[in-house]
Amino acid sequence: MILFATSDKGGTGRSVTSCNVALRCALQGHDVCYLDFDFGSPTAGAIFHVDSAARGITGGRGLHSYLEGSVSAPVELDLWRHIERAELRPPPAGAARLVLLPGDEGGGEFPIDDEMIDRCQRLLRRLAEEFELVIVDLSAGRSYALQLALEVTARPALRAVTTRWLVFHRWTRQHIIAAAGLAYGDHGIVATGVDKGHVRDQLDDSVRFVRTAVPAPESSQFAGLLPTQAAWLQETDAELQKLAARRRVGRSVLLGSVPLDPVLQWREQLILDSDVRTLQIANKETNAALDALAEDVLNDDSWEGL
Amino acid sequence: MQIRPRQSLLDLWRATVAYSYRDGTWTPDGRAEPNSTSDAEQLLCLMYPASQVAAFKLDRPDETARDMREALAQFGGAADIPQKLITALRDYMERYTTGSNTPVFAGGSYLEPRVEGELLIPEQQRLDIVDSFSMSITLSLATLGFLKVFEKVVRRPAVREQISELEKMASRRLTAAMIGLLRSFTVHSFAPDSPAGRALCERVNQRGLPQEKIVAELHEALARVRVGLAEVTVGSGGAEALENEEYLFECGWSWGVVKDAPRVKTGEPLEQPAGVAARRPFLYFTVVALDGILDLFSERTRILDLLTEEQQVFMRYLQIRWDLTQQYWSTLAGFGGERWALEDIPWRTTDGRESDYYSLLVTSVTVEALVQRRAGDLDLARVARVLDELSARGRVTRRALEDDPAVEMHVPGVRLNLFGAEELPSGEIGPDVVWPVSDFATALLKRTIRVASLARGTALRDQLLRLSDEIWAHLHRRRLTSGLAHGLWDDASAAFPQVKSGDQAPSWYLTERVMECLVVVANMINEDPLRNDRLRETAQDLAIEADHLYSQELLRGSTDAAAMRNELDHLGRRLDRARVVAGSKPGSSIAILLEVLGALDKLAAARQSRQGDPE
Repeated sequence: MILFATSDKGGTGRSVTSCNVALRCALQGHDVCYLDFDFGSPTAGAIFHVDSAARGITGGRGLHSYLEGSVSAPVELDLWRHIERAELRPPPAGAARLVLLPGDEGGGEFPIDDEMIDRCQRLLRRLAEEFELVIVDLSAGRSYALQLALEVTARPALRAVTTRWLVFHRWTRQHIIAAAGLAYGDHGIVATGVDKGHVRDQLDDSVRFVRTAVPAPESSQFAGLLPTQAAWLQETDAELQKLAARRRVGRSVLLGSVPLDPVLQWREQLILDSDVRTLQIANKETNAALDALAEDVLNDDSWEGL
Repeated sequence: MQIRPRQSLLDLWRATVAYSYRDGTWTPDGRAEPNSTSDAEQLLCLMYPASQVAAFKLDRPDETARDMREALAQFGGAADIPQKLITALRDYMERYTTGSNTPVFAGGSYLEPRVEGELLIPEQQRLDIVDSFSMSITLSLATLGFLKVFEKVVRRPAVREQISELEKMASRRLTAAMIGLLRSFTVHSFAPDSPAGRALCERVNQRGLPQEKIVAELHEALARVRVGLAEVTVGSGGAEALENEEYLFECGWSWGVVKDAPRVKTGEPLEQPAGVAARRPFLYFTVVALDGILDLFSERTRILDLLTEEQQVFMRYLQIRWDLTQQYWSTLAGFGGERWALEDIPWRTTDGRESDYYSLLVTSVTVEALVQRRAGDLDLARVARVLDELSARGRVTRRALEDDPAVEMHVPGVRLNLFGAEELPSGEIGPDVVWPVSDFATALLKRTIRVASLARGTALRDQLLRLSDEIWAHLHRRRLTSGLAHGLWDDASAAFPQVKSGDQAPSWYLTERVMECLVVVANMINEDPLRNDRLRETAQDLAIEADHLYSQELLRGSTDAAAMRNELDHLGRRLDRARVVAGSKPGSSIAILLEVLGALDKLAAARQSRQGDPE
């Protein structure tokens, strides 16, 4: 399965959540590969604690170079050898492959041409055969990367591969409206995809949403609120639920919901069991939400709509 | 009020699902063997709150509240809940449909032989029962409304197809149930000097008047009902029973389709089995039918446009019967002037049986009639006293004596003889059949809350709410507290020590009725609080003083200092708020005004303390 991670706005936690999902799926025994298509800012390496590729890879061997045609194959980093976290060395028992395809350091956005589309399609096809889950982290908004992804997946060569779309958004009014716009609006995923030859209903059904940095009024985190703040928060939350339902980003198309967590918010890093149990810097609810999301990503039932 | 409907309904949902949803399927099962009424009751435990209380709706998965989702987590996520319900409802509709596609309303395991040890024959167990008609109307309407909203968010063809099939089944069941009620309605007439006539006259004669005088008064009071009944012809009418002008009569519902009831013309290819029920109204089944029919012309049914054209015609036929029956029984109940017949407890039926339970049933009809004509507190207070007395006599709010006969109303319940059920259409003869009813406590609670929500005086409302709390405490004690069915009803031994602790399986009959009570409470709480003129006047007086003092403070130029300015701005906003809520919540308005007055006085007092100082 190829899973495209998108968001309309920056700062939604799209990359950090996707990286955490990739790690968890690999830990659960599924071969996972992660492509950093965030061309303007290829920082997946930093999230995965790969110091050598923190801002993309040097030496012109990354995804930029591959797509532009200057190298015949992009570099693939076996993360179990590169992650600089003691808890993951050696890799935990039962872990499957986890590979990162980083972008080039200093690379930027670029317009797409036909050859690029061919190269991209060949790469994705090969990876989809080799890995159970291919996560492609796209730049925010209606980017070239998104265009490329929609273009490529409409090609006959990739039709047999299951492709799905995750739209990440924060739990605020503006983010909900923006996420709905990215999915269903003018020049959004569905509209653009249909232009490029996708079947509307199929594409529509393959889009799901992930809410990030969600304040959960019932959690212990908010026990310290004034009663008035709690009442206000509850009302606001209910309003947002209604707004989301009206914009077709409601619970029936929700794949997961990740709570507000200081570690995700300020450090943008992988959350490991040790962060919850030993260091106690991350919340266990966050851990559970990421586990559930990883499970749902690979579970066909959770992609079945109404 | 101590009843917490949201919490209690959630608990009930959790318990219902825990008991009913096993190994991924909805299992119709309980104290009685599955039958068309009990299974409907079991489903209504979920469907009724979902259709009647806004906070409990499940038809928009995107908006289902968190605690609702958690209570039903066994079904899966918010999007799974409606689908699991659809499957359970379809199973129900299919289970109670004959090969020829006609819905079945059989009494089944709810029926008992009058004489212990005798065995009912299968044909008797297949007899349709008014309880089942009424439950089916409520369940079908809940289902149709639920689907109407849910289908808007569904795109998958497989689910859409399930919805449209269930819609058809529910609609057909609704039509069949309406026809059933049309064919179970009956008018029973009798000579004034027959035993029934004398019983009726004694019943309403609260002033010791001579029999002829009472008969004349009855004729006059019931003249309009009589004229109306003469026009009731579709299904089992009563026109022919009223030909003799001298005769007295009673009207309402028998226990099932009455003997020789004609078929109702309908476009649906439905079988209409021959009736056997005695042509005389039963108070219990009358109340049950009235409650079911009420759902047919509820606001929700109209807004969601749930009825087909044919059903709307049937609805109007039923509404006429509903009106006439309501009028008939509330006229009898209020007969007598100084002392109403209703207040003369226990009520005695025309066949000479008397019980506090019958008084409660007549009260039920009367309460709904009072709701209809928005009665004043004087009438409501009289009904309130009756409810209070019934709850004491029924040993709901008083402890029972040893061997207290009142306990029998709860366990095993009042046993109603289903006259006519022994002679079957096939010519076979079976044993006498009874229908045990044990809903005294829930019926009492439901009507008490109904009257409470009508009461406009605070004293009356308070009195009724306290009575509701006491009845609820009684019912709450009777929950099953162990085993698979914990959280459901009924363990009467917890409230009546002399009753042996018995079956640990749930009685859906009682559980469903408890749930209905909670729904009535939830809807009452949703309304605006009582406001009275005294409170409003006090709020007004306070507002004038506060406003004036506030203006004085501003006039004094107090806003020069930043600290003062902030405080006065704040107080100004509080005054605005007091004004906004003055109309709907005068008490809250007073609380805000007192806070403002206190703050203003602090400033005044601080200033005054300076005045005696030397130059």
